[in-house]
Amino acid sequence: MVGPSSFEAIGTPWRIGHGGAETPVGSLGAALAPDDLTAVLERIEQFDRDWSRFRDDSLVSRIAREAGSWRLPADARPMLALYEQLHALTDARLTPLVGASLERLGYDAAYRLTPSGAPLPAPSWADTIALRHTVEGITLDTVAPVVLDVGAAGKGYLVDLVGDLLAARGVGDSVVDASGDVRVRGERSIRVALENPADPTKAVGVVELHNAALCASAINRRAWGNGLHHIIDAVTGLPVDQGVIATWVVADTALVADGLATALFFAEPVRLAEAFSFEWVRLTSDGRLDASPGLRGELFA
Amino acid sequence: MSQMLTAPSRARAARRAAPVVASAAVIATLSGCAAAVDTTVEAEPELQPTTEPEIVVDPSYRDGSFRADGAYQSPAGDESIIVVMQLENDIVTDVEIGLYPTSATSSTYQDLFAGGIAEKVIGTDIDDLDVTVVAGSSLTSIGFRAAVETIKAEALDD
Repeated sequence: MVGPSSFEAIGTPWRIGHGGAETPVGSLGAALAPDDLTAVLERIEQFDRDWSRFRDDSLVSRIAREAGSWRLPADARPMLALYEQLHALTDARLTPLVGASLERLGYDAAYRLTPSGAPLPAPSWADTIALRHTVEGITLDTVAPVVLDVGAAGKGYLVDLVGDLLAARGVGDSVVDASGDVRVRGERSIRVALENPADPTKAVGVVELHNAALCASAINRRAWGNGLHHIIDAVTGLPVDQGVIATWVVADTALVADGLATALFFAEPVRLAEAFSFEWVRLTSDGRLDASPGLRGELFA
Repeated sequence: MSQMLTAPSRARAARRAAPVVASAAVIATLSGCAAAVDTTVEAEPELQPTTEPEIVVDPSYRDGSFRADGAYQSPAGDESIIVVMQLENDIVTDVEIGLYPTSATSSTYQDLFAGGIAEKVIGTDIDDLDVTVVAGSSLTSIGFRAAVETIKAEALDD
C-alpha cells in the first residue's frame, strides 16, 4: 500500500494520510491527491509568511521593526484567544511576547545560539499590545516594536488549519502529523507512542486517539546547551526549570493540545483544567511519569 | 574536542551495549564541542566496556571512535547535532550527542540527562510497538539517525 504524503515545512517533517476505519493501525493512510497536497503546502507557506519570526518578510518581522496598528490574518483570532487564556492561567509566564527573550538567549533568526546579554523578561501584555476586534477582523495595536513568538501553540494550530483545509476539500478522514503534533479526524483511531525524551528509541507510553489531537513538548528538543532550551519563562526571561522534562496533551484540537503541552511546564494540570477539557502525561526530572486518570492508553514506566 | 566525552556519561554508556543499527540506544548527553566536526576515525584503546557484547550484526565494522554530524531542520532552519560513537566488535559501546555550538562543560541541563533520566524511565522499544505515530523529540532523532547512517558508512570494514 502506498504510504502517506510526507514533506518538510516550517522546519519540521510532516506526514499526512487519509483513510477510514479499515486503515491498519501501523499506517497513516494513503497519500493525498496532488492538488490537495499543493493546497496544503500553500496553506503552510501562508502561515509561515504571517507568523514566522525567522524570516524577514513575515508580518511578525514587520511588527518587530516598528510600532503601529497591524491588521492580522483571519486565522489569528483563535490562536490569540488561546494565548490570552494561557497567559492568565500561567500568571504571565506563557505569552506570545516572549520573542525578544528568546532572541536574547540566542534563539534568533541568525541562530547564533549564544546569549547576547542578561536574560530579558518579556514585556507586559497590557502595557505593550492591544487587540481590537472589528467587523473587518482583528487589529493589533503596539506601542513599541515587539517580537511575537507563537512557538507555544503555532505548530499545533497549523495542524488544525491543514486538517480544516482538507475537510473543506472533501478529505474528512485524515491524520496530520507534524512531528509530534498530530490530529486524527474521521472514523479511524490511531495509536501514538510517547517518545522517551532521553532515548528516542523508547516509548514511555501509548495513547489511543480518535477524533482528537495529541501534542508533545520536551525540553530536550531545540536545546542549545548550558541549560538553554526553547521553553522560556516570560517573567524571568530564562528557560523554565521546574523539573518538568516532557509533556503530552490530548485535546479536541491541536491548537489547545499544543498550547497546554507548553503551559504544563508552568502550571499544574488542575489549574489548567479550570478552563480546558484535556488529558495529559507529564515526565519530571526525577523520572516520575504522571498522567490524568481519563487518559486512554497505557504507560510503561 | 575532548570535552565531547564527559566522564559520567562514558562510564554509564559503557554499561550498555547495542547493535550497530539506527535504533541503537541513545544517551542524550548534551556536551560541548566548540569547533566544526569532521568525520574522523581515531582509536580509543583505553575504553573498556564492562559488559559482554549482546548482539553482533552481520556487517563488520572497524573498532574505534566515530564522529558524524546529523543534519535536521528546525523552525529556525538547518540545525546539526554531533554524534560520537565508540564501536568495538561491531557493538556500540558509547554514544554521545552534542549540540552546536557549545558553551560550558557543566550545566544544569547537561546534569539532568547525565543524571540518568534514560535509566529511570526506560520504556518499551518503539520498534516493538504497533503504533501509527511517535510523539516526542522527533527533530533531534532525525539528526541522530542521519549521523548513524554516516557512521555506518564510515566504519564499514570493506
